[in-house]
Amino acid sequence: MKFLLPTRTSRRSCCWTLWFLLAALLVGCRKEEIQVYKVPKEKVEAVAPTSDATVTSQPHLEWKLPDGWTEHPSQGGMRMATFAIAGKQGQQANAAVIALAPGHDFEVINILRDNAGLSALGEDEMVKLTEEIQIGPSRGKLLDMAGNSSPTNINPRRFLAAVLPTDNRSWFISMTGDDTFVREQKPVFLQFLKSISFHEGGSHSEPTSDRAPISTNVKEVPHTATEPGKTVWNTPATWQEAPPTQMLKAKFLATGDAGTKAEITVSVFPGDVGGPLANVNRWRNQISLSPVGQAELEKVVSPLDVTSGKAMLVDMIGNKSSDGKSRRLIGAIVPQGGRTWFYKMLGDELVVAREKDAFIKFVKNAKPPDAP
Amino acid sequence: MLLNRILNFFTSLRLTVVCLCVALLLVFIGTLAQVDEGLYNAQNRYFRSLLICWTPKGADWRIPVFPGGYLIGGVLLINLLAAHAKRFQFTKKKIGIFIIHAGIVLLLLGQFATDLLSTESAMRLAEGESKNYSESGRESELVFIDVSDPKFDQVIAIPQGLLKGGVELRPDKLPFAVRVREFFPNSHLAEAETGVQTAGNHGAGANLVAHLLPRVTDMDLRDMPSAIVELISSSGSLGTWLVSTHLENPQTISVGEKSYKMAQRFTRYYKPFSLELLKFSHDLYKGTDTPKNFSSRVHINNPNTGENREVLIYMNNPLRVSGETYYQAGFAPDNDKRVNKVTILQVVRNPGWLTPYFSCVLVALGLIVQFMSHLIGFARKRRTA
Repeated sequence: MKFLLPTRTSRRSCCWTLWFLLAALLVGCRKEEIQVYKVPKEKVEAVAPTSDATVTSQPHLEWKLPDGWTEHPSQGGMRMATFAIAGKQGQQANAAVIALAPGHDFEVINILRDNAGLSALGEDEMVKLTEEIQIGPSRGKLLDMAGNSSPTNINPRRFLAAVLPTDNRSWFISMTGDDTFVREQKPVFLQFLKSISFHEGGSHSEPTSDRAPISTNVKEVPHTATEPGKTVWNTPATWQEAPPTQMLKAKFLATGDAGTKAEITVSVFPGDVGGPLANVNRWRNQISLSPVGQAELEKVVSPLDVTSGKAMLVDMIGNKSSDGKSRRLIGAIVPQGGRTWFYKMLGDELVVAREKDAFIKFVKNAKPPDAP
Repeated sequence: MLLNRILNFFTSLRLTVVCLCVALLLVFIGTLAQVDEGLYNAQNRYFRSLLICWTPKGADWRIPVFPGGYLIGGVLLINLLAAHAKRFQFTKKKIGIFIIHAGIVLLLLGQFATDLLSTESAMRLAEGESKNYSESGRESELVFIDVSDPKFDQVIAIPQGLLKGGVELRPDKLPFAVRVREFFPNSHLAEAETGVQTAGNHGAGANLVAHLLPRVTDMDLRDMPSAIVELISSSGSLGTWLVSTHLENPQTISVGEKSYKMAQRFTRYYKPFSLELLKFSHDLYKGTDTPKNFSSRVHINNPNTGENREVLIYMNNPLRVSGETYYQAGFAPDNDKRVNKVTILQVVRNPGWLTPYFSCVLVALGLIVQFMSHLIGFARKRRTA
């Protein structure tokens, strides 16, 4: 092909073309910037989550946090928020906002009294002790209770319990701590109660998932999700189910004599979370045992056949603590579908020994929702 | 002369052929790379880049080894435009060729504009729920929301790209600086055990630890970013917080008289209207689990324009509104257990969405003109012969 020599006009056209493309590239290379914009206040809607949920919608709260209070955000379940309160001289107290099913207000207050070494009160007696206060836009009730001192804590404790019954649930807002500090904080607590605003439902109720939704291009619709809903556990009769936190799939308690207990937890994480050695050493650290190396790991773990395949089991007794007691930890690591399930029983040596068979059976029979 | 050499290079037909061959090779390599790197990462690395770089194992430097999609496309475009500018002489005989090339140029520019300017996000709606924003599936942002005004919230959004360990950011509208202690592009959170240093000393970070996870390549998964941030006011540090897309609710920070909500969340794109999901339908062929139809009946409400109507979105029948297209894309995995079914609408904003249509029309028109002019010329010659 014979090329023509560039004329002045064509040269100019080429230059213009190059400048145009350069400008387009510069426009395209937009630098990321901090954005500031205004949005309407989020409307809150009542949306029922799943059919097995006990409440029809997740409430959403807002408040003004008093000075010196630190918020620990909601970990799911009934506890909407917890707060740590620190005094100037190092005093400490805790506060919590809990959503209860309606009609359980007095039971919860009696549990609180029981923990404080106080006798349970009847409904009539409790009503007499309450005072009316402002909670958000509504009138609620407050109980101010002084606890007994105990051998482990010579400072008497004080409890403030505010209750606000609504149509769907009862709000229970409490503050506990050293008597003098809670007395000092009472006006702040009352101010905090006034600042609360309640909304039924809310866009924050659905946790964000790392799993993609099901595409409408699927050829077959899976019956229940690939992402677990609520797993049904084959729980031994001696275990009591405790509310799970956001990081735990399930939590149980097994109790023994004289207040001894063991805690059974189930958690799941993507990947192998550092591998068996790192996780066994993490558990060893919890019962004050020194870490082991790869060579010793094989002596510590034993294989376990579970419904979903092969797992690893560890059984370790920790060093004696100052009270002369040892803690024991039995754990199972179950790799499953690109994720790892951790089952752990930790607590009093005797309780753990008693529950060992039940724990192994529990792990063997557990069928995570994404198991084959 | 240097300018002539440059012009000769960019107008060369050999350059066109080389670019097309390299583009073929790039498509082949990029397609294979999707197996290991995942679709999204492979697209970014091979097609949305000027150069493809390679990092030797264990090294922290990289060397360019192959031209990326932007470079090949850009050179092809320059080549096409420069060759036209240099050689084209507008004659009646070549009008068809001109129209065809104009169509190809428009196609290349349109796709370039689409790549740079288009955004994809998703709107997740449960029946009865109304939203005025969609969320990115991959990119996240650290937001501080000033909720002190009773009418609206002021959002200060820091994009994920600016969150790097050790960086200190000073947004104008915040009374404190944000120092990013650590950033985890993908993470998981665990409850802190005794003796383990927690991720922060306030909020969620006071009882949790964050662990870095490898970036996901599986299309069914996504990264869950977290960060540990320290907030520093004029009077000193306010403390350190863990922010994470794993956390359900924003955390509250009080500075003086003002309260802010802080959260790491997937990037939101706000709309001037709201969509309410009235009903999500999911029909199956009788006696099978094979889907027959998915559809979402939504109510659109735009207070600015007064638009207030119901729309049925289903496969191949998207909603087009305010320059965006809403496609029926998916549903929640646990829909069968839900009282209020959840739909996922894919939201695409693509200012260049019409360019492929115009390009195809131009190319087709050019071909018709060119063939017809040849046919007519041929017929005339035969008649005169």
